[in-house]
Amino acid sequence: MQLPTRGPFLPGDPRVERPFRLTRGLGLRIAVFGGLAVVLFGVLLFRLWALQVVSGDEYLAAAQENQVRTARVDGQRGTVVDVRGKAIVENTPGTIVQLWPADVPPEEVDVVVGRLSDLLDVSAQDIYRQIDRLDGDPLTPIVVKRFVKAPKPDFILEHQADFPGVVVADTEIRDYPLGRLAAHMVGYVGEISTEELEDRDSDEYGLGDSVGKTGIERSYDRFLRGTPGLDEVRFNALGQQVRQRSLSIAATAGNRIRLTIDSDLQAAAERALREGVVNARTLDDDAWAAAGGAVVALDPRNGAIRAIASYPDFDPSIWSGTREENKIARLGDTVTNLPGLNRALSGLYPPGSVFKPVTALAALSELNATSSAPILETEELIPCTSEIEVADRIFKNWQDRDEALTLPFALAESCDTFFYDLGLRFYNLPEDRGSPLQFWARRMGFGERTGVDIGPESEGLLPTPDWRRQHYRTAVAKLWKPGNSVTLAIGQDDLLVTPLQMTRMYALLANGGKLVQPHMVAQVEQTGSDLDDPIVLRRFSPAPPREIGLDANHVRVVQQGLFDATHAEYGTSSSTFGNYPVPIAGKTGTAEKYQRLPKGYLESDHVVEGLFDQAWWCGYGPAAIEDEPTLAVCVLVENGGLGGQAAAPIALEVFAEHFGQEIPVDDVAIGNVVGQTD
Amino acid sequence: MATPEASVFAREREVGTRPFAVVAHYVFQLDLVLLAVVAGLVGYGLWVIRSVTADDIPGDAAFFLSRQSLAAGLGFAVLLALASLNPDVLRRVRLPLYGVTIVLLVLVLLTEPIRESRRWIDLGIFNFQPSEFAKLALAIVVASMLASSGADGVGWRRVGVVLAVAAPAGLLVFVEPDFGTSLVLAVVVAAALFFAGAKWRIIVSIGALAVGVALAVLWLLPTNGITVLKPYQEDRLLGFLDPASDPSGSTYNVNQSITAVGAGGLTGRGTEEASQTTGFYLPEHATDFVFSSLAEQRGFLGAGLLLLLYGLLVWRGARIVGLAPNLFQMVLAGSIVSVFLFQIVLNVGMTMGIAPVVGIPLPFFSYGGSSMLASLAMIGVLLAIHARGRLSRQAASRFG
Repeated sequence: MQLPTRGPFLPGDPRVERPFRLTRGLGLRIAVFGGLAVVLFGVLLFRLWALQVVSGDEYLAAAQENQVRTARVDGQRGTVVDVRGKAIVENTPGTIVQLWPADVPPEEVDVVVGRLSDLLDVSAQDIYRQIDRLDGDPLTPIVVKRFVKAPKPDFILEHQADFPGVVVADTEIRDYPLGRLAAHMVGYVGEISTEELEDRDSDEYGLGDSVGKTGIERSYDRFLRGTPGLDEVRFNALGQQVRQRSLSIAATAGNRIRLTIDSDLQAAAERALREGVVNARTLDDDAWAAAGGAVVALDPRNGAIRAIASYPDFDPSIWSGTREENKIARLGDTVTNLPGLNRALSGLYPPGSVFKPVTALAALSELNATSSAPILETEELIPCTSEIEVADRIFKNWQDRDEALTLPFALAESCDTFFYDLGLRFYNLPEDRGSPLQFWARRMGFGERTGVDIGPESEGLLPTPDWRRQHYRTAVAKLWKPGNSVTLAIGQDDLLVTPLQMTRMYALLANGGKLVQPHMVAQVEQTGSDLDDPIVLRRFSPAPPREIGLDANHVRVVQQGLFDATHAEYGTSSSTFGNYPVPIAGKTGTAEKYQRLPKGYLESDHVVEGLFDQAWWCGYGPAAIEDEPTLAVCVLVENGGLGGQAAAPIALEVFAEHFGQEIPVDDVAIGNVVGQTD
Repeated sequence: MATPEASVFAREREVGTRPFAVVAHYVFQLDLVLLAVVAGLVGYGLWVIRSVTADDIPGDAAFFLSRQSLAAGLGFAVLLALASLNPDVLRRVRLPLYGVTIVLLVLVLLTEPIRESRRWIDLGIFNFQPSEFAKLALAIVVASMLASSGADGVGWRRVGVVLAVAAPAGLLVFVEPDFGTSLVLAVVVAAALFFAGAKWRIIVSIGALAVGVALAVLWLLPTNGITVLKPYQEDRLLGFLDPASDPSGSTYNVNQSITAVGAGGLTGRGTEEASQTTGFYLPEHATDFVFSSLAEQRGFLGAGLLLLLYGLLVWRGARIVGLAPNLFQMVLAGSIVSVFLFQIVLNVGMTMGIAPVVGIPLPFFSYGGSSMLASLAMIGVLLAIHARGRLSRQAASRFG
């Protein structure tokens, strides 16, 4: 039988296999090896158990921290509605692009910033500035752009590898359904600044938060903003967003703010002001420079502001989403006459004749009580002349006149010399009487902020001998002279007021002598609650109108003068209000103000300097004895010329909207009023 | 002593002469437990590679899996071939085998460096890593030399010759640089000396010298808070030894790895939630740090199962050392099983922060075709040694 040959594969030939027996020594070595293996596997298993089972939770937390970034997210901001619930500020969905700089590999920062800058049309410098501001904080993103339009977010998501550290998320931005309406009051929302952050409670505010910057958005931020939530975003080691963000702490929505503003009245005031300012230029050659103005309408019973307009205005959406920096810059441009300036609160103007009721009330209070000066009563006649001479200076009336008048009559026809006389009497009071005219003016709210609930607000300037001493440098200028008292009496001199201060004064006249607290927010309401029957979280009840010590009879005297001013034949705005079905009382004013108008202002080709007439009209209605006035209105037209021509018709439009009574046709033609001035 | 005739007749009586019966009988002489363990390891490894690399190549979740599967398939073919081959044949071809190995190790130094080291020869479809195959070749050469040492055992002189023969392979790998694999080659030689019966004082002298210096400087003292070297010196030393293992900060990798292992907890975070792996925090999560990924995704249960399989592998390997039919095969088996034990302990220990960071692949798990092929080839040799040992013992007990 053929034996299988001895081959390399498969069964070997047992004949040549020399049985191999382990020596004891080699056996021991295998045992040693086995023992070593047992020990080593034991160590590995122990270590594995220690890491995973004993300390697993800690490492799990570390692993999660590795990839999770937590970011604050703003709560849905509350809306702002008018007194009847009509929305003025709402929200609209948008897309936000954020960058977590800590998740961008250092060598790629420039590339990523460059790509974002190109794609989103944001300046690279701006991005770097924000990165610097973070100061290496890895847990806070920067906002590259707040409102990104499709399809750019999709592009970023599809090219995540090119955008490490970049996150695309949903957001909401402010929306203004009524457009420019009340733009100055509403204010805007922006990212919190470093300074703002330092001023505020760090528990409530954090880097990257949106906060109200001006207006209602600022003053009522804590009600509007809600509570920020925390968002978790997961990244991988390459800085790419792993998945959609998930809320770890849900943000709560802010509350709704209801204003005292009536959006219909506001719209009417804005329209009347806009048209009135433009119209003013056609009425009077001297009023060519009319390019701004303000209207304030408030309820004299409680100080609630019903309408507050400032012209020129702007579209508040320039701050919403992507800030339109060039348009924002133009808001502070003198060539376009500072559209960002809220003239109603911050504009400072000499009041002129609309101040005369202040002088009248002060005179009735002060010049009555002293024996050293003649008693001023309604029966007393004071000469109204064409001019008077005081301390070698001639002070002129606005018209040729030579007749002794009662106070109401003098108010109605706005006789300057009559009030010069009163001013001189104030000047001639003994030193120990102080400055009673200024004292009463201050009591009526001049020279200090009204404390209206939104800002910024100017305090104006109420000149006193003390102020003059401190403010002027030369010895002569420091001196309070008779001329100062004389001109102050007709609302000139250094006196500066805001339209809101002036309106508050006329509210006082309307309500019989009580100073009101102007305010424009009525209450905070639960977001989403019924607009007609809201859940009120907080009602703002400002200080009730307060007596300032005026004699009711004195007020009535002035009221009579104001009614005559709009109804008597000699009244300065009778042509405007005389035929209006609702009785309106009010006063015109034409005040000189030094202006320096830049080149380009209303397309002028050179700088213009000089005195320009500021047109005023202030009043209230209904002004019949049996009625309680429901609206006090002041209108100012910058450089508008005569108050009776430029300002009064604007006020009438506001009253017409308020009372729902149309203006009789023959009163509409503004230009046909001749000879009715100051 | 049995006569040759008797043994042949005995076999024919027992098995028959039909080829199928012969093959079947041989198959049952293989260590089927070891084969099953290795098949389990390879299958487990492919499953893990699939889940840890699913996100690596966007749009091609199976990129690494398909390549690793191909290597595994090839590897099993090599395993079967070597399992059926008489290991003594390897002894006869040791010189050409070692010669080819040295040539390849020289050639690899002429290639363009990949991540600052020259380890791979580009074969088009995959990169061939000669150092992986040098392990088996060196084991065969060294075992051959030590098995023919004669009656007086392995003395200093023999040790010197063995070290001189092994040195070129070790140095060539070291200068690639591939510190990890050169350590493995050292283990091949050390294990061979150990199992060949080198005198204890020789073993102890060499072992104490090498292990003592390495562990003291790089591991024991630093991990216990005693820094022999300044941190940057230690970093440089490790960086010099194996720059590719630690590309971005010397502690980053280990910290991320420990975090990944720990985060796995008892039952693991699953493939989706395993953020250390899917978020690329864990470097080399398919190669050197694949154990960390497994531990993160499958937890203590999954990682413990792997250690259990490795334990079985080492146990079966150690058993084969004792079963070997001759000294050459015994020493060879000893070297191979030592290599497995070393690679497993060093790699797993490294991922858990209790061994220095040295780039050594985890057998059957780390992504890499050469490692897979070499590991399966060594298992094939072990299976063959087992079969020869069994046959030899059967013959001895039957006729002895």
